Amino acid sequence: MTDTEQLTAETRDEAARAGGSAVNTPVAGGRSLWADAWRELRHNPLFWISAVLILLIVLMAVVPQLFTSTDPTYANLSTARTPPNRAHIFGIDNQGYDIYARTIHGARASVLVGLGTAVFTLIIGGFFGLVAGYAGGWLDAVLQRIGDIFFAFPLLLGGLVFLYTFPSNPGDPFIEMVAKIILVLTIIAWPQTARVMRASVLQVKPSDYIQAARALGASGPRIIFRHILPNALGPVIVIATINLGVFIGVEATLSFLGIGLQPPTISWGIDISNASGIGLVRAAPYMLLFPSIFLSITVLAFIMLGDAVRDALDPKLR
Amino acid sequence: MRGRSRAMAAAAGIIAVTLTAAACGGGGSSSSGNSGNTANEITVRGCTPQNPLVGGNTAEVCGGNMLDLITRKLVHYNVDTAAPELDLATAIDTKDNQHFDVKIQSGQKFSDGTPITAKSFVDAWNYTAYGPNGQQGSYFFEPIEGYAATQCTDDECKAKPKAETLSGLKVKSDTEFTITTSEKVSNLPVRLGYAAFSPQPEAFFSNPDSYKTKPISSGPYQASSINDTDYVFTKNPNYQGKWAGKTDKIDFRIYNDPSAAYTDVVANNLDVTDIIPPDQLVGDQWKSDLDGRNGTKPQGVIQAFGFSPIDSQLKNVNLRHAISMAVDRATIVKQIYNNTRTPADSFVSPVVQGYKAGACGQYCEYNPTEAKALYAKSPGYKGTLTFAYNQDGGHGPMATAVCNSIKNTLGIDCQPKSEPDFKTLRDQLNKRELKGIFRSGWQMDYPSIENFLAPIYAKGAASNDTAYDNPKFDAKLAQAAAAPTEEEANTLYQEAEQYLVQDMPAVPEWYDEAAYGWSNRVENVKTNAFGVIDYASITVKSS
Repeated sequence: MTDTEQLTAETRDEAARAGGSAVNTPVAGGRSLWADAWRELRHNPLFWISAVLILLIVLMAVVPQLFTSTDPTYANLSTARTPPNRAHIFGIDNQGYDIYARTIHGARASVLVGLGTAVFTLIIGGFFGLVAGYAGGWLDAVLQRIGDIFFAFPLLLGGLVFLYTFPSNPGDPFIEMVAKIILVLTIIAWPQTARVMRASVLQVKPSDYIQAARALGASGPRIIFRHILPNALGPVIVIATINLGVFIGVEATLSFLGIGLQPPTISWGIDISNASGIGLVRAAPYMLLFPSIFLSITVLAFIMLGDAVRDALDPKLR
Repeated sequence: MRGRSRAMAAAAGIIAVTLTAAACGGGGSSSSGNSGNTANEITVRGCTPQNPLVGGNTAEVCGGNMLDLITRKLVHYNVDTAAPELDLATAIDTKDNQHFDVKIQSGQKFSDGTPITAKSFVDAWNYTAYGPNGQQGSYFFEPIEGYAATQCTDDECKAKPKAETLSGLKVKSDTEFTITTSEKVSNLPVRLGYAAFSPQPEAFFSNPDSYKTKPISSGPYQASSINDTDYVFTKNPNYQGKWAGKTDKIDFRIYNDPSAAYTDVVANNLDVTDIIPPDQLVGDQWKSDLDGRNGTKPQGVIQAFGFSPIDSQLKNVNLRHAISMAVDRATIVKQIYNNTRTPADSFVSPVVQGYKAGACGQYCEYNPTEAKALYAKSPGYKGTLTFAYNQDGGHGPMATAVCNSIKNTLGIDCQPKSEPDFKTLRDQLNKRELKGIFRSGWQMDYPSIENFLAPIYAKGAASNDTAYDNPKFDAKLAQAAAAPTEEEANTLYQEAEQYLVQDMPAVPEWYDEAAYGWSNRVENVKTNAFGVIDYASITVKSS
């Protein structure tokens, strides 16, 4: 199916609607962009691999008890640095924590930060991008410059500065610490989404079906939500999915540096940080290995998913 | 930028290096110590001093290590035995342990060329003691007559003290002065080797702030440049003492992370580190990394954690005893430090005269049953008990282990809390901002049991971070100080120590053994009984 076909279908639909006709269903054989993308996705093995991985990770985040019954906060120092064995399949770390239990429980913080930031940047960035792209003129200029201000900060540096100024302390509520990281990442990351959204809107706006809808007297919001948004959303979804992996990586980095999440919160970043002394890497490499593998796989899974979605949404890549 | 943790410090370091490299544009850098460098200069690990390098205002190790190089005192402690030997003094005479007559060498000079006279000592001591000057070492002069009159009567020092000088100090000639103490002080000559008793030139009093960038030296070295990343010392041409430096230049590179310093020493990019990070102690890896260039030695250092004076939940003595008995010292020493520490059984280090084995008794022994019973008798601890430690000393694993031990035994939610560096931790302690428990290590100033008690637990002492205040303890200290013989004094000090065991203002953890390493281009690296590397005696290999 080509773009022209889609446009025709949309325009016909709009025309029918505006004309008050009862014929409201799309022409037979016409599929929406999304249905088409889904059909494409189903045939992509990359999508299934990443989907299964993400499902597993989300399951770990929601109900870690499914995977382990060991208390990840209980440390028995006398057994420290036991190599992997039957009872402790990932081994025991330097403080006597069970590495498997900590790795499973560590998923929650990562997934929450990743998802939360992705959703918020999508909402905020998407909204501003849409408004800027659709309204144009001075509003576009103002919104773009505001975005540029935040865009100037690299994600990691911004996170460092913010969390160094407003540090989390041990014993702070988990949600508060996570919210703080989501907040700072959203503040810095939204302009990227906004830019992509704006560009996408600008691309869609001059299309014939939009002109037609306008000519037929459709209201602004109707044009935006009914015509522009569905057709401009694709690239933004792709960016959000790929960024989700990036946000998880940034959270782990901040925690690794000691200013992200704080103990007793369990996070891969904290565990990797604790395991990364050279002496420990030599004495107990499994302590570093397992949280690192899980972190890498999680980031990889989301980036793969983003790739697959992009392939499905972009007709040019088919 | 201060590192929030070692990795961040490393990241910051990389950025800093990149920036510096960019700024220098390939110009001559002051760094040395790379293998192949044959210059007679060395680089050693340093950490940021809390205050400018003023003898009377330094009560911490980072600045103390450097001060040793730029101060010359009346008495020098023998590197191997810690026994006091006369340095600037030619004689310290007393008949009654209360009136001391000090004669000093003539013709000695500061690095700025002005002579070191009896007045240099008396003026410096008066300055340090005087309350409104706010010097950390003020309490060292407490035994001297007239000390009380030089102190502020209120916390903010609104009313000027009655006297500006100590009435117990009298200059008799350029080379002689007398000290009169208010009580008998049996170990005064032993104390005089501490940096707080060093002399200061006249230039210091007119402009103390100049010491931030250019302290004037009386010791074997003088400061040549001081900035956030390097404290560089070069030989003091005016030094005529017996312990002159062997190398021309000593560069203290500031590390926020001992692991980085360690790695640099292994790679021969740094010549000496005085800290081996705990993760390297695992399985004695550091000894194979630094084969033939490592050393250990018992030292006068005790590690403890103190109870915050502003945390009302920690006032209960049963709770304190319970927490102390909940710490499994032996396992922590074995698993975290690979037995390079010894579990503490007293508030005093075993290297000094007067140490009594087992003085702390059952309260310093791991006993979960008894700890739980005591905890049940106390009101308990609600909320999160934080254990504050400085990130730049490699104490993270230990803090986590101590917390886990407390948590597993008593069920208190104990969490380690990292402070970016030693200065931040010290500043927070001085301002009494920290709640919970905090790390409190003590390196002795002079080899005496008294030094493990009075400066840390006497009322109002500069390092009394727990704000311990027990008149009976203070009275016992005064009594001990006046004892005619050392044996009697030590017995009285041991009695004073028992008050600490009862009240438990802090919990002794273990005694450190100094562990240190050096690069393949230097030799003769050793530590003194204080655990401080004798930087001046390090030599560069001739080949």
